[in-house]
Amino acid sequence: MLTLLPQQLVNGLVLGSTYAFVALGLTLVFGVLLIPNFAHGELFMLGAFFTSALVAFGADFWLSVCAATLAVGLVGLVLDQLAFKPIENAPHLSLLISALAASTIMAQVAELIWGSGSRITPTSIDGVLRNGWFSVTYLQLVIFVSLLICSALVWLIINHSRLGLAIRAMSQNRSAAALMGIELGHVRIATFVLASALGGLSGALLGATLPISTAMGLGPTLKAFVVLVLGGVGSLPGAILGGLGLGLVEVLVAGYISSEMQDIGTFLILVLVLMIRPQGVLGQAEVER
Amino acid sequence: MRQRWKEWVVTCLILCISLLGARYCNDYWAYVGTLAALRAIMAVGYDVLLGYTGFLSMAHGTLFGIGAYACAILTANYHWSFWVAMPVASALTAAIGAMVGAVSFRATGFYFAVLTLGIGLIGFQIFTVSSATGGVQGFVGIPPLPRIAGLDAPPQRYALYVTLVMLAITYLAASAFVRSPLGGACKALREDTTLARSLGIRVGLARMSAFTFSSFFAGAAGALFASISSFIAPESFSVMGVGFDVVVFVIVGGMGTLWGPMLGAALLTFIPELLRVARTFSLLGYGIVLLVFIIFAPKGIAGLVSAATLTKLPRMFGRRHHAERNAPPSTP
Repeated sequence: MLTLLPQQLVNGLVLGSTYAFVALGLTLVFGVLLIPNFAHGELFMLGAFFTSALVAFGADFWLSVCAATLAVGLVGLVLDQLAFKPIENAPHLSLLISALAASTIMAQVAELIWGSGSRITPTSIDGVLRNGWFSVTYLQLVIFVSLLICSALVWLIINHSRLGLAIRAMSQNRSAAALMGIELGHVRIATFVLASALGGLSGALLGATLPISTAMGLGPTLKAFVVLVLGGVGSLPGAILGGLGLGLVEVLVAGYISSEMQDIGTFLILVLVLMIRPQGVLGQAEVER
Repeated sequence: MRQRWKEWVVTCLILCISLLGARYCNDYWAYVGTLAALRAIMAVGYDVLLGYTGFLSMAHGTLFGIGAYACAILTANYHWSFWVAMPVASALTAAIGAMVGAVSFRATGFYFAVLTLGIGLIGFQIFTVSSATGGVQGFVGIPPLPRIAGLDAPPQRYALYVTLVMLAITYLAASAFVRSPLGGACKALREDTTLARSLGIRVGLARMSAFTFSSFFAGAAGALFASISSFIAPESFSVMGVGFDVVVFVIVGGMGTLWGPMLGAALLTFIPELLRVARTFSLLGYGIVLLVFIIFAPKGIAGLVSAATLTKLPRMFGRRHHAERNAPPSTP
């Protein structure tokens, strides 16, 4: 059993980097704009399908990934302006329902265009790195490394740029930020587009490792919400570490207990965590006023 | 008290009229009507939680399934009569709903939705892997609805009769609930939980009863659905399927009214059938309708209607005379 452990850990980190990637975008939008964006999974799905369509059209894989990322960023802009901007000041229940509606609409439109079957994105990166303990495909390494790069970039943007200063100000206190001369509308667009592009990029890269279908968005979104709960909303380290941790736990549960327990186990963790610490593991208790 | 008495009479009258109307349905429209009434039962119960108490639960698709499977197992495997199995299945669903609620109310707002969604997905997983539910192959051979002596309508129309009666019962129960002190407490905590708590309202009890109430009727709808369909499979109870539909019915019809969700369920069942659209299109349509309503008319059709009656009717009947009488003398 233990001889498989290094391979299990590597698999867990690879799976976890998926969740972390999706959670990264989600935590930005939720932490700063307070939008529980259920449709984030559909952005992820669109990233995969755009890439697949471009590659099938004959474009280079990397070029397709970049184009898909940009395109999903634009879709995110439209999504925000149509579904969330008009009810900016509505109760959060409305935002939640609006996100649910947007998610359904995007999944169904995608199904109308691409059908409900699954497809595979052909890539040029097809090597496997092997050593005595574990094996990992180059593509999985690429995903892991791009997760690290993207997290570092997001961290840089948030903590060391004027935009990041504005984003942090907005997430702390909107009216004070507006009084300081920050254009909340611009910050909103920048944040949402950045988060959407991250979602699209993760979809574009992950879509190359597994068969993609129009229903693929729901699973990672839910897992990412679990990550958000575990790591605390709006916390970048929480999203990354929570995602990797969740991936590790899932793979270990599937490997050593039962593969049927994998998903059930995840949600049991969620339920347990919320029962014990409703504000998340790393989150601050919120005082109701 | 007088008003309650009046409501009973009106409900019974509407029920009688719709039962009479149901006599003239062919099998197809009786089926669509049954579907609409089943969805309305669920929507009315769900509105007690979403509209009156302000909690978005995504576990109700699974609760609907628990009612369906419980009724199927009791009637098919243990040969219980449907009339006993349905209340028992509903009570079982209510009990499970109470447990779900006890866990989920640890969180509020957005986390409540995520938590119920997670629980709903666990339930869905159990439906697909459990041997008691027949797994993905589904549950075959559920006995049909037993006949009441003297009623020899064709099965499809008979199902419609039974479902309509059940809808009337659901409506009256929901109406009694929202008018009770508990219902008042629900409305108070929807507006401001902290304030309600500081006024000595038992917030926990109120929202738990709302959740249990809606679970009971989700279970009842599920039990009816199982007996009417005679075959059930997990995909009828998915979180983003039926669990999403019921949110749409309540929002489009109008949160916080009881007739709104029924109207929403009826309209959103009959219109796709009239247009004969495929499920992909109808789901897309539901999504678009939901988005449009939540942005432009968050109070749903009920809100639009009451806004119209408040502003237009007085103008049409009362206020014109009033205005003419009190019109200021025109000054140049």
